[in-house]
Amino acid sequence: MNDADRILETFKPLFEPRSVAVVGASSTAMTPANVFIRRMREFGYTGTMYPIHPSASEIDGLPAYRSFAETPEPIDYAYICVPAAHIPKMLAAAAGRVRFAQVISSGFGEVDEGKALQEELVSAAHAGACRMLGPNCLGMYSPRGRLTFVENASSDIGTVGIVSQSGGLGTDIVRRGQVRGLRFSGAVTVGNSADLGPNDLLEYYLADPQTRVVGIYLEAVKDGRRMFDLLKASRAAKPVVLLKGGRTQQGLLAAASHTGSLAGDDRVWVALSRQTGCLLVDTLDQFLDTLLVFQMLSPRNDRPTREIVMFGNGGGTSVLATDLFARLGLDVMPFGEATLDALKALKLPPGTSITNPVDTPVGTLQQDEGRIAEKILDAIYSTGNPQALVMHLNMAAFVGRTRGDVMGNLMQAVLRVQSRYPGRTHFILALRSDGEPEVEMRKRDFRKQALALGIPVYDEMMNVGWALAALCAHERFLSRERQ
Amino acid sequence: MTENALIQAARLAGRTSLDELSGKRLLAQYGVAVPKSVVVQAGDTLAPKLRDLRAPYVVKVMSQDILHKSDVGGVRVRIQDAAAVEGAIREMLGRSEIARARLDGFLVEEMAPPGHELVIGGLRDPQFGPLVMVGLGGILVEVLKDVAFRICPIEPIDALEMLDELKGRALLDGVRGQAPVCKRAIVDALMRIAGADGLLTRLGDDIAEADINPLIVSERGAVAVDARFILRPEGTPV
Repeated sequence: MNDADRILETFKPLFEPRSVAVVGASSTAMTPANVFIRRMREFGYTGTMYPIHPSASEIDGLPAYRSFAETPEPIDYAYICVPAAHIPKMLAAAAGRVRFAQVISSGFGEVDEGKALQEELVSAAHAGACRMLGPNCLGMYSPRGRLTFVENASSDIGTVGIVSQSGGLGTDIVRRGQVRGLRFSGAVTVGNSADLGPNDLLEYYLADPQTRVVGIYLEAVKDGRRMFDLLKASRAAKPVVLLKGGRTQQGLLAAASHTGSLAGDDRVWVALSRQTGCLLVDTLDQFLDTLLVFQMLSPRNDRPTREIVMFGNGGGTSVLATDLFARLGLDVMPFGEATLDALKALKLPPGTSITNPVDTPVGTLQQDEGRIAEKILDAIYSTGNPQALVMHLNMAAFVGRTRGDVMGNLMQAVLRVQSRYPGRTHFILALRSDGEPEVEMRKRDFRKQALALGIPVYDEMMNVGWALAALCAHERFLSRERQ
Repeated sequence: MTENALIQAARLAGRTSLDELSGKRLLAQYGVAVPKSVVVQAGDTLAPKLRDLRAPYVVKVMSQDILHKSDVGGVRVRIQDAAAVEGAIREMLGRSEIARARLDGFLVEEMAPPGHELVIGGLRDPQFGPLVMVGLGGILVEVLKDVAFRICPIEPIDALEMLDELKGRALLDGVRGQAPVCKRAIVDALMRIAGADGLLTRLGDDIAEADINPLIVSERGAVAVDARFILRPEGTPV
């Protein structure tokens, strides 16, 4: 068995558990563990759940057991949320009958008085031949195993693998992410990472064929060298997006050399990103935007994205976006002679600007109920070679003002042109809303339609810029590694 | 802890860093060019000792008590002959900071040909292990802060990208009629220091911080003109 197969086999009980133990559910009150049982049922978990309780015979309609030793079958995944001091003994007694335990409880290494208890917890887990997630986390989400800690999480099995050192942020990533179109192969919160940590999950996602892109929220890395080695060995085969908290607090060590005094802040993270191709982002928004672009588009290794064509309604928007893109290292270059001639020949109405960016007021876009876009893009694609096309629609200008499905037709027009030039140009859509309820509602529907057609959708040009800059960086790294 | 004799010797002598001569010998072991040199003592007859060195010379005081030699007048450059070297040593001994220090002698070196001053640095990150840095500006590096870091080991393409990352990279290509510097020599030096078999990669558990400053780079090559290696305390967990 090769390494990847061994890793997949090891983690299969975590991502697709056939048996789940729940420690901390009450027969009389509503504890986090009771909520977990309810969520698992709502999510359609098909395996068996075993509440563990010192005295109750039944919890939430499920027969309860005294300990891990008494369940009718070994446990693939145990969810543990009881006071910290009880847990080490419980795990040590598991005696090989629990494969993975996720300790939700806090009161361990994150506070000074819990550090010794955390060490005890790790030794106990190892003594019981169990791998542990946490403590001080929220749970895990694995749609393929119908396992979730997040309320109302999508049951779609996606391609984005997440590991988060923060439980709360893990919830945000799943919930905000799915509204933007992200679908997950898994999301694991690892809290203090006392046993299994971000590197272990990174290694799993890199091996997992279901995962196409990996997102990591990191606060403290325990073994940076291993992360470097894992990322380096993978040669950016899958994009890895890294949101690192606490980057500004580094480099506070007293330095005796020039080099030491210059090493401050986040230089090592920048180095990691340059050497391994992992993508460093600063905010949750950037993190989600970047993951989405890799979920939806296939990176190229021979022609890194740099030259962008911008097309849509809103002159000021495209001027500002051109500036922003330039700051991000992207080019919105004016068209050459041939493209300009082809666009002039279309005799578009006055007010239309046909240099790049192409600024087309709604009056122009609704010609032929939006099908005009096909002619415009044909003119651009047949005479040039854009690496990415960004269509931006200011939705307020359409809603209630145009007849027929102009926006739908615009999108279909782009897709028809795209299909005539397969693999050549990345297509990204920005749906800009003014926040009015009617516009927001229309946007929500239209976003769904576009995502279903495989088009990444963003709220503003800033988000598009971040996503494209990350795509560009990844593609450049791929082309570097090819050489 | 270490296999390296120079580091072992420094540790045995109770030192927390390598003296300049040992530092340069260490660099030479890894194939980094250093100036040809000889160690002399005050009062030596110098002409025979300097026979194999080509003028002009640089004279530097050697003492573990003196951290920044230039600040105490412990470095003299562009010295043309043995008599002038003897004069420079006498003059240094007249300075109170030098007279008070425990002296290991004086280092007489061939002066490197003029060129651009770069810095190559090393640092052990508690999480990632040895890091390498390259920067522009020589002694001005802390003012300019124009530096790039990488995690050891690096590949040649990393070394080239480090140079591309510098804001002042145009200086290396030659501006205002200056000849371009030999980038290959910088990449070569970086690989010898931070490549898979490089000094920092191999000895990263022993070296806490390193400054090769300046590394003088001309169209002819790169020479490490000064070097400081600060050792990690013995027994520090790896």
